[in-house]
Amino acid sequence: MLTVRGLTKTYATADGDFQALKGIDFDVPQGGFYTLLGESGCGKSTTLRCVAGLEEPDGGSIVIAGQVVTDIERGTQLPAFERDIGLVFQSYAIWPHMDVFGNVAYPLRVQRPRLAAGDIKARVMDALRLVGMESFAGRQATKLSGGQQQRVAFARALVRRPKLLLLDEPLSNLDAKLREQMRFELQELISRTGVTTLYVTHDQSEALAMSDRVAVMSAGRIVQSGAPREVYGRPTNRTVADFLGSANFLRGRVVEAHDGVATVALAGGASTLHVPSRAALAAGTTVDVIFRPEDVTTRLDPSDGAIECVLERVVFQGGSSECQLRLGSTALRSVVHPSLAARPGDRAWIVLQPERCILFAAD
Amino acid sequence: MAVQAEEAAPIVRAARRTRRGQLGLAGSLLLAGAAAAALYLVLAPLLALLFTAFRGPSDLLPFEPGAHWTFDNLVEVYVKTPLLSTVLPNTAIFVLGSVAVTFFTAFTLAWLVERTDLPWRTPIFTAVLFPLLVPGIVIAFAWTLLFAPNAGWVNVALRAVLGLDAPGPINIFSMPGLILCQGIASVPFVFLLLGAAMRTMNPALEEASSASGARPLTTFLRVTLPVLRPGVLAPLILATLVALEQFEMPLIIGFPARINVFATRLYFDLNPEDELPAYGRVAAAALLFLAAAVILLIVYNHLIRRAERFVTVTGKGYRPTRYALGRWRLPALAFVGLYLAVGAILPSIVLVWTSFSGGSTDSLNLDAYRALFADHRFWPAVGNTFIVAGLSAGLITLIGALLAWQILRLRFPGRRLLDAVSFMSIGIPSVITGFAVMVLHLTIPIGLYGTVWILVLAYSYRLAVSSRLSRASLMQIHAELEEASSASGGRWLDTVRRVVLPLLAPSLLASFLLLFIVGFREFTIPLVLQSQDNWVLSVIMWRLQADRQTAQAAAVGTLILLFVTPVIFVLRRHLLSRQGES
Repeated sequence: MLTVRGLTKTYATADGDFQALKGIDFDVPQGGFYTLLGESGCGKSTTLRCVAGLEEPDGGSIVIAGQVVTDIERGTQLPAFERDIGLVFQSYAIWPHMDVFGNVAYPLRVQRPRLAAGDIKARVMDALRLVGMESFAGRQATKLSGGQQQRVAFARALVRRPKLLLLDEPLSNLDAKLREQMRFELQELISRTGVTTLYVTHDQSEALAMSDRVAVMSAGRIVQSGAPREVYGRPTNRTVADFLGSANFLRGRVVEAHDGVATVALAGGASTLHVPSRAALAAGTTVDVIFRPEDVTTRLDPSDGAIECVLERVVFQGGSSECQLRLGSTALRSVVHPSLAARPGDRAWIVLQPERCILFAAD
Repeated sequence: MAVQAEEAAPIVRAARRTRRGQLGLAGSLLLAGAAAAALYLVLAPLLALLFTAFRGPSDLLPFEPGAHWTFDNLVEVYVKTPLLSTVLPNTAIFVLGSVAVTFFTAFTLAWLVERTDLPWRTPIFTAVLFPLLVPGIVIAFAWTLLFAPNAGWVNVALRAVLGLDAPGPINIFSMPGLILCQGIASVPFVFLLLGAAMRTMNPALEEASSASGARPLTTFLRVTLPVLRPGVLAPLILATLVALEQFEMPLIIGFPARINVFATRLYFDLNPEDELPAYGRVAAAALLFLAAAVILLIVYNHLIRRAERFVTVTGKGYRPTRYALGRWRLPALAFVGLYLAVGAILPSIVLVWTSFSGGSTDSLNLDAYRALFADHRFWPAVGNTFIVAGLSAGLITLIGALLAWQILRLRFPGRRLLDAVSFMSIGIPSVITGFAVMVLHLTIPIGLYGTVWILVLAYSYRLAVSSRLSRASLMQIHAELEEASSASGGRWLDTVRRVVLPLLAPSLLASFLLLFIVGFREFTIPLVLQSQDNWVLSVIMWRLQADRQTAQAAAVGTLILLFVTPVIFVLRRHLLSRQGES
């Protein structure tokens, strides 16, 4: 449905050239929800703008629903208005001089050949109904709340039934509660229309909750892509592990490795773990053991195989608490039940689940 | 470096290709047309001027047969004549003196209106705007009626009260008189700029000073003034530029006093009593003042950039605390009253009265109006005034908006040049423009010289006004609003028609109004380019005044006042509503 190959883009800036995209490849199947996830400046928005036709890449090709919209080598670059897309901006970009109806009707009104006014009206009202804004049709766009503007922006993006829906951080301007609510509404809306979606966000929980597939981007490259669970649970490198959720890192050394299980002695002799590993790691390799705070069991009394730490702080977060621990010079975090009665300075013992740990050769 | 350059080259080409695809043929032609028009309106006359300065002999046009390259004009003007020893010092004294008067008055007025509890602030605000709309030539004429040493009303009254003999005691026809007149005439626009700067100042800055234990005067000197500095310096430079190009006051008031400043000197060189105009020498003399203006312009540009940054940092839309005037209330009102009396009320009264009384007789009559309406030159001049002001305002508003759009939104070679061209008209004295347009159109034979259309072209050099206003408001329009149209399937012309223009409409209207007023007031350009067929009201009035038809001249002045007065209220509403928004 959407095929992106070899996308590159360099900006000339005051301090020299900045390579925003260093070769982006991905495919989104018909009806799929594909998310580009990364920090600001990683190239995710540039990728989306290239797909939209608002920027021209320096190299690569883009095919939307079988139509080649960009192929730099062949000199093809369709302008945005000739692409079959709907786009929702971070700022919504609702035109302040039109009412709600005028904003949503715009894509139909500029269509050639012209549509009959009756058809336009019917389709606009359908789109407004889809987002629950049909009673706001006559409202001035400037008199809408953030959440309402967002719905209008969705209605405008969907009204001409595009093949591809592009969403550029559409939720990031909303407050936390509304964002949560809109996330589900948006998912519902997209599954109802069945439109293929390319979504750009820096919010990992959005990405994990909504997508069929997530691509984590960093410094102009896709560093890992896959189903949300796979990317979260099996990050293939430190950047991904670090960016998706919080991760703990412990330095260790491989004592022996066979049958896909590595025996790792943690630095300082704290403990020895048997960690399943896909990568072939030779004995003697220095590695980082990576694990999530929620995969750590924290107790205030010693037990077999537990690692002794110093508890520095317990941060109450409502439904759970976060323990901030120190092991030698390494800071660690773990999630505990809020009932855990601990004080700063207490000793604590943590137990890791080796099957949920990941090994990377240390750089 | 070499590698980088190789990588960079295809990108530039690629970017241009996208844009051309996005614009379509019609869009590209429209934008290119606007750019070409800007070059023709601003750059071409300047180039003609430059050529003229280096072509001789002086009484030939630069490309007439017989003309050749020469430095004679420069030698003649800067070595052999007293330009540097008389005109230059006179101009400097005139400019610095009048700017000082303007600044003192405008700052005090702006401060009183924006930051104190002065009563009747709104009517005062309206009245201060009055001289902004009335052509300078009309005010200058009215002031000679008031302050001429022999027959001036104020002098007659003072002599009666003080028991003095004629002439005097006030002699307007002197350097101090000229400076005061020009100083007062320039107050309104500086007042507007300073008022805006004071309004956008965050009162928390002053409150923080108060809370730190500073007295009001300390706060004013150590916080208010430094914070306002960029917003104050930019109008100061602008006022200097305006004073440098002033022509009306030096012509009406300076000429009888035998004081020549640069603008009048150029005009008299161009219209000598009994020889041919010395084009080359005029152009050579103009270069010096053009250079001075360009330097001021560069400083100004630098300052407004800083001021813009300043304003973004502090934000806008504050309700500043007002100082209680207390016992200073009466002196403040007296100051405002004196300014309004001299700047607006007395000139209006003297014009109206003179138009009905014929200046000398005590019986009121309509003779002057009858004579005026019967004059075959009058009605065409009324038509010309509105045609030229309206057409040029419309033309530049359109071109300025198209220029601003492409300078802000596109990348193309020559963008910086276009930006400079769109901006530099602020710094070009109008007498130079009039002369440069004259030389250009005497040289290229398209038959515009002597018609109304050459005035439309010459007035239209004031591109900076509309390109600046459009630019400021385009910067407020997020690029995503345009991209959203493109992503919705809108072509460039759809985007312009349905998104950009409606959003830009208020600033286009403001720009049109402002330029219409400027064009309506214009005197220098139509005087320099005058012919039998293209007289406008201000020129007619000056000719009547010069022919000693005082009552008829006053009648023209009165009719102009009549037209301008309702416009003041429209303008005030516009300015005050903008204030309300911010």
